[in-house]
Amino acid sequence: MTAEEFKHFVRSNGTRKAAKEVDIVTTGTFGAMCSSGAYFNFGHSDPPIKMQKIWLDGIPAYGGLAAVDAYLGATELDESNNMLHGGAHVIEDLVRGKAVRLKATSYGTDCYPRREIDTYISLKTVNQAVLMNLRNCYQNYAVATNSASRTLYTYMGKLLPEFGNATFSSAGELSPLLNDPYYRTIGVGTRIFLGGAQGYVMWEGTQFNPGVPRTPAGVPKRPAGSMAVIGDLKQMSSEFIRGLTFTRYGVSLGVGIGVPIPILDEEMAKYAAVTNDEIVTAVFDYSQQTRSRTVLREVSYADLRSGEIELKGKTVPTSSLSSLPKARQISELLKHQIMKGEFMVEKPIQNFSMDRVVRTLDVRSEKEAM
Amino acid sequence: MKTKVVLNFSPTAANTPITNNLIAKHHLLVNILRAEIDEIGGKMVLELSGKADDIRKGMDYLKENGVGVRPIKEGVRRDDDLCTHCGMCVSICPTKALAFDPKTGKVTFNEEKCVACGVCIDACPPRAMEILI
Repeated sequence: MTAEEFKHFVRSNGTRKAAKEVDIVTTGTFGAMCSSGAYFNFGHSDPPIKMQKIWLDGIPAYGGLAAVDAYLGATELDESNNMLHGGAHVIEDLVRGKAVRLKATSYGTDCYPRREIDTYISLKTVNQAVLMNLRNCYQNYAVATNSASRTLYTYMGKLLPEFGNATFSSAGELSPLLNDPYYRTIGVGTRIFLGGAQGYVMWEGTQFNPGVPRTPAGVPKRPAGSMAVIGDLKQMSSEFIRGLTFTRYGVSLGVGIGVPIPILDEEMAKYAAVTNDEIVTAVFDYSQQTRSRTVLREVSYADLRSGEIELKGKTVPTSSLSSLPKARQISELLKHQIMKGEFMVEKPIQNFSMDRVVRTLDVRSEKEAM
Repeated sequence: MKTKVVLNFSPTAANTPITNNLIAKHHLLVNILRAEIDEIGGKMVLELSGKADDIRKGMDYLKENGVGVRPIKEGVRRDDDLCTHCGMCVSICPTKALAFDPKTGKVTFNEEKCVACGVCIDACPPRAMEILI
């Protein structure tokens, strides 16, 4: 059943019965996931070219790979920094079946004599088009607000002055990693719903940080785990892969992810029974321009979903950046795919390491870095 | 009756006391929801209340004076294919025209409440909101 159905079931039947009767709980989330991108193999031209500089619809892609391989980052912008059309929008256009202009230049070699090419590609013409995201699906995330006297434009959206609003970005009780807080069933090799297709967890996400403070039930109270994921872009749908613009911040990719969670035992049933009132996160003032902002207060996702929270004696309206209807839709779709035998649930090949810590970047000497 | 309209006027029309005439000559209650004026003219969002006949006459008066009049429904439009119902717009909408429906989890857009202020336009990540005035 879906994560929401499971929570109802546990409320009336308890975790012991739930562990006995329920095999799989399906989760879902849809939100802005900046650390995303896609790699391509375009096929060889005649005469062939070893592409050095590459643009897809004017957006630079990284070509420091073999001749016709490239990686397009979701947040990449063109030379004019036009934030309405970045790497994420090119990825969405491709998923929508559109043709995209490919330009590339090179210095030319004996084996790759061609020096430039200007052509069109689509998902039909390329050999591989693979979504490969380094950090997606954050297990919990911060709440952003703004105490300053001017509007702030951030990756957490438009933050109105003087605590005019607060934004959050987690699907809460539907979010995959919040239903498996210690990563017992989600690890390297887990098959997932990714952008409308089937994909895989390929590694822990970058900045994986399992050691944050947790509630007595084990739910992280700060951004903690995340996952690196991979899947065939050719199979994906624009319903779950969307280019997003955050004014004066940049571009991001809206990604839909769903993860099936096997209810192995009563412990897993307890974890997956977690509800929004039991998931806590911290509110930060984004006008503090530092990596270590002070916590204004802690709130639950039930508070955030109620539409307003209390901050410094003021009632502050809240906004989600994560789509609840899409998260529900994904958990439903995944449930039906599993029941029809179209989606096979996979055991992780390797679990995530609980020892990971997040390090900072400081200006240091060569010696200090060693 | 009540109606909300968007007025577009040229620099010449901007020098006429239009709202005053709507009140004095056409017996309308005028609530100015938004007003902007610059070198190429002006834009105003008004809520007019009064008798249907007076409102009609008031609108005619505006048109005779070179003021473009459009109902507010044409002020802001949402592209439902682009909207992902994330809810970013909900906390910044000053009139709560954009609101979260707790039952469906979707974001509803009540055009009656919209005053076409436009704060949602650049806040919308999938760029589903469009302002036409």
